[in-house]
Amino acid sequence: MLARREILQKCLALGSIVIASNYSADSMLFAFQEGEKPLPKPTPPNPLGPFYKRLTPVNNILRTPGDPGLPLTLSGEVMDTRGDIVPNATIEIWQTNHHGLYDIDGYRYRGKERVDAAGAYSFESVIPGHYPDKSRVCQHVHYVVTAPGHKPLVTQLYFATDPAFEGDPRKNYARDPLLQTPELIRPVMLTGEPNEVHAKVRFELCLERL
Amino acid sequence: MNIKVAALTLVCCLPAAALAQSGRQVQTIHLPAGVTVQYGTMSRAGTMFATIDSDNVVRVWSTRSGELLQRLADGGHPPADVAFSPDGRYLAVAFEFVPNEKSVLKILNVDSWKVEHEFAGPDVFGMAFSMDNRRLALTNFGSVTQIWDVETSRMLADISPPFGGSTSFAFSGDGKWLATADGDGHVRVFEAASGKPRSSGTEFVLEPLAVAFSQDNKSIIAGGGDKTVSIIDPETGKVLRTLPKQPGLILSLDVSADKKQVAVIYGSADSFATVDHLMLWDLNTGAVLADFQKPGITIVGGAFVDDHYQFAALSDNQLGVWSLR
Repeated sequence: MLARREILQKCLALGSIVIASNYSADSMLFAFQEGEKPLPKPTPPNPLGPFYKRLTPVNNILRTPGDPGLPLTLSGEVMDTRGDIVPNATIEIWQTNHHGLYDIDGYRYRGKERVDAAGAYSFESVIPGHYPDKSRVCQHVHYVVTAPGHKPLVTQLYFATDPAFEGDPRKNYARDPLLQTPELIRPVMLTGEPNEVHAKVRFELCLERL
Repeated sequence: MNIKVAALTLVCCLPAAALAQSGRQVQTIHLPAGVTVQYGTMSRAGTMFATIDSDNVVRVWSTRSGELLQRLADGGHPPADVAFSPDGRYLAVAFEFVPNEKSVLKILNVDSWKVEHEFAGPDVFGMAFSMDNRRLALTNFGSVTQIWDVETSRMLADISPPFGGSTSFAFSGDGKWLATADGDGHVRVFEAASGKPRSSGTEFVLEPLAVAFSQDNKSIIAGGGDKTVSIIDPETGKVLRTLPKQPGLILSLDVSADKKQVAVIYGSADSFATVDHLMLWDLNTGAVLADFQKPGITIVGGAFVDDHYQFAALSDNQLGVWSLR
């Protein structure tokens, strides 16, 4: 078993975590994305469940002041398989809280947003916790992405910093029983002052046309 | 609500007659050393229980004697799902051939254990026979829901929901209709022969996880994340009435042959981690007929047999066969 410090060190070495100062965070993230240049192939699907909830209100601020857990900004763009921006897409996300529990009765950590004219979206949340049942399911955020003229996308975002991946998600992604590809595991950028660390994750979404 | 408080509340609300009712273990099935059960299903007559085990083997057990009746494996391909036909003549086993893409389905005669039909289908997460054994509904984990003809090994219809796939389905007793509980929060009804939509209900806010037809085919019983059993008109998809909400997620539903009772298996309030709660409800009055909860067990499937509900529950590497009335 790797210690948390060793996992973080290994993540850093492999680029799973990027630690940067505030003013250079976005440029480093941009550089990372540019360097990776994902092909315009459809985002791999991942199962919907559990606990998709209809009638989620439009809201992209899921975190409230004082919520436990590492603050997280999720952002990205929605494109199609030709690489064109999809400006009229709607994104619904839901996740567990810091303790690994879904809000079944209400809409905490559930949000919906329409992308802007550039196809961009963002949500303010916290890093979700692991399920408390000791299952092998890794930390994740559920996504449903819909847009007229495109096939709905149901997928999940996973975090490269999840201890289950032991700093090497490309090698260890199958430790989560639902993960068939490392493509859904995204790097986590940590920014901010030491006492106010904030995580940022980019997750680009590629839809198939109907 | 704390689960102990919830249980206390339930007990306080039960009629006196129900308090005397309890489950009792009637048989023990001893699993091989080191093997755990990942999924299980009871034959409708309650005489057999099929398990998918951690060693990639399907085992069929006698619930009467606890003996192993058959062991099925397919060259190391992991079994993905198993289902008895309603008359208990057939056992369908889906083996995962290409992970998350393709399954090979084998339909075995339970008397001879010979394979009578075999065909390649989609990646299978769940399946159900029609009452006449002629059709098989299949779903994968997330997108595809299809109706297949068993005799010709041909797909009859693709009834996949817009997104999210189906979590449960049930044919009507006359074989004409198929109801699906879908991840997008809908309960849908289709014509079984053609896949033509009949109705679609949208009154579920959280995803329905279990669905069953009443024996007279005049209503559908469904439940799931909403923790409430809903009785639905299959013609319109409208919820006709509901049973009182319980603390746990509804994971499974069975309707008795006399259409008077429904057995509901509940999980914990906010996860699938615990499956130790079973209630029998009077469908007509909404009264609780029996309430069984035993910490430490995992209920893995059951069926109405004569005047009681028989179910299997896992604990300490043993599979107990229980009776609740």
